[in-house]
Amino acid sequence: MRLPSFAYHAPHSLDQALKIKGELGAQAPVLAGGTDLIVNLKHQLSSPAALISLRNVKELKGIQAKPDSLIIRAATTLMEIRSNEAIQTHFPILVKAVESVGALGIQGFRGTIGGNLCSQPRCILYNQSRFWRSGKAKCHRTGGKECLALAGSESCNSICSGDTVPVLVALSAQLSIAGSGGQRTLPVADFFTSKGESPFNLAPDEIVTEIRLPIPWAPLSWSYQRISLRSAVDFPLVNAAAVAIINKEKVDSFRLVLSALGPAPVALKEAEAVVKGKKPDSAMVREAGEIALRAAEGIVVENASTSKAYRVKMAAIVAGRAVEEALGL
Amino acid sequence: MKKQFLTMTVNGNEIDVAVTPNTTLLEVLRDDLGFTGVKEGCSEGVCGACTVLMNGAPIRSCLTLALEAEGAFVTTIEGLAARGQLHPVQQAFIDQGAVQCGFCTPGMILSSKALLDRSPHPTDEEIKTALAGNFCRCTGYKKILDAVRSVAREGKAETG
Repeated sequence: MRLPSFAYHAPHSLDQALKIKGELGAQAPVLAGGTDLIVNLKHQLSSPAALISLRNVKELKGIQAKPDSLIIRAATTLMEIRSNEAIQTHFPILVKAVESVGALGIQGFRGTIGGNLCSQPRCILYNQSRFWRSGKAKCHRTGGKECLALAGSESCNSICSGDTVPVLVALSAQLSIAGSGGQRTLPVADFFTSKGESPFNLAPDEIVTEIRLPIPWAPLSWSYQRISLRSAVDFPLVNAAAVAIINKEKVDSFRLVLSALGPAPVALKEAEAVVKGKKPDSAMVREAGEIALRAAEGIVVENASTSKAYRVKMAAIVAGRAVEEALGL
Repeated sequence: MKKQFLTMTVNGNEIDVAVTPNTTLLEVLRDDLGFTGVKEGCSEGVCGACTVLMNGAPIRSCLTLALEAEGAFVTTIEGLAARGQLHPVQQAFIDQGAVQCGFCTPGMILSSKALLDRSPHPTDEEIKTALAGNFCRCTGYKKILDAVRSVAREGKAETG
């Protein structure tokens, strides 16, 4: 499969990269590891005028430990994250999620955390070859006004498929975003719009530069759960992250986040309320499962390689497993 | 589309080549440089047939733009044998009968070599994880795992 033509820029600094991004905007996506972008370009899902490679932008690589947080620069590879001592110590849940991203040879050495976070949401009716798509009507993402997976839907229901996404939300990560107008930060949960056709709160002239993970005040007990057809190459059908701080047998702090259901991750606040302030109890597993089931019912549509019914059921399973493991039940 | 110059070291030889920006590393290695041991399978990063080593790490050459390899050290299957001697992993694949049609073999061997370079005595789990992104569609994976295990056991990986 051949790539469509485009120009290639490989700036040597973030300033240079932002300058090019400011000039070309949406016409020039950023190329980090390329393990998602290049596939999408081969399928001609978009035809950008240029790519801005981050390979020479040193400011966007590496992990920095601060007293209160870890800063992971956006173009840091997944391999570097999994072998970083500070991350292994403070956030083993992130190591687990990173290890779940495809196979070593696909994403491990090339894929980046910023790329995983910003990978385009997926739909079985969209992530196909141009020839395959030519037999279908246009959808929200291809210039049409409907969703082929859910009649009457006002926006695209493509699936946010990054393995690190629920984990970053559960860990209350903050993103730094740079653009021609300067820099801003926002919680990773607010990065997602819930609209598959424009999934991120990111202007055309902006680049995600850093992910800041606040170090928790007490050791985290955690769980990352994922279901996929083939673990080495498939995106999650549903995934979940749970983190808890348990003090004197009571749950001081708890978060449960599901993802890969729709265009945005979902923090299950209701499940948090069930668990917080109480002694871990096996009934919480069932309750979290029921809450996840209800949430998934309202989000999941028929747009993955398995049915909606299966994914909804599995949302309850992964949520239950995550609660069980994180609470040590 | 304007071509750009690319300098990289392939199997120990520094190579200058002009490529258009939309050329993948797979295409330049096969079509311009003649390293046809790099196989194009699925072309979308799933099957692992196009695996090459870039600075020692196994990567998908079908998903890597050639220009991203500027200054890199690239190893293809053609670069493993030295002084007429097969690399121990290559020899082990032959000895264990780990080759059937052979299409996945270059990728399998390069992924195995990268693993053994990182971890000369891997556990079975590590071998399976390292090869999880390389598909064989002829048969099973048992003989492939046996081959990698035999190199690890005999401690020959360091010599390659």
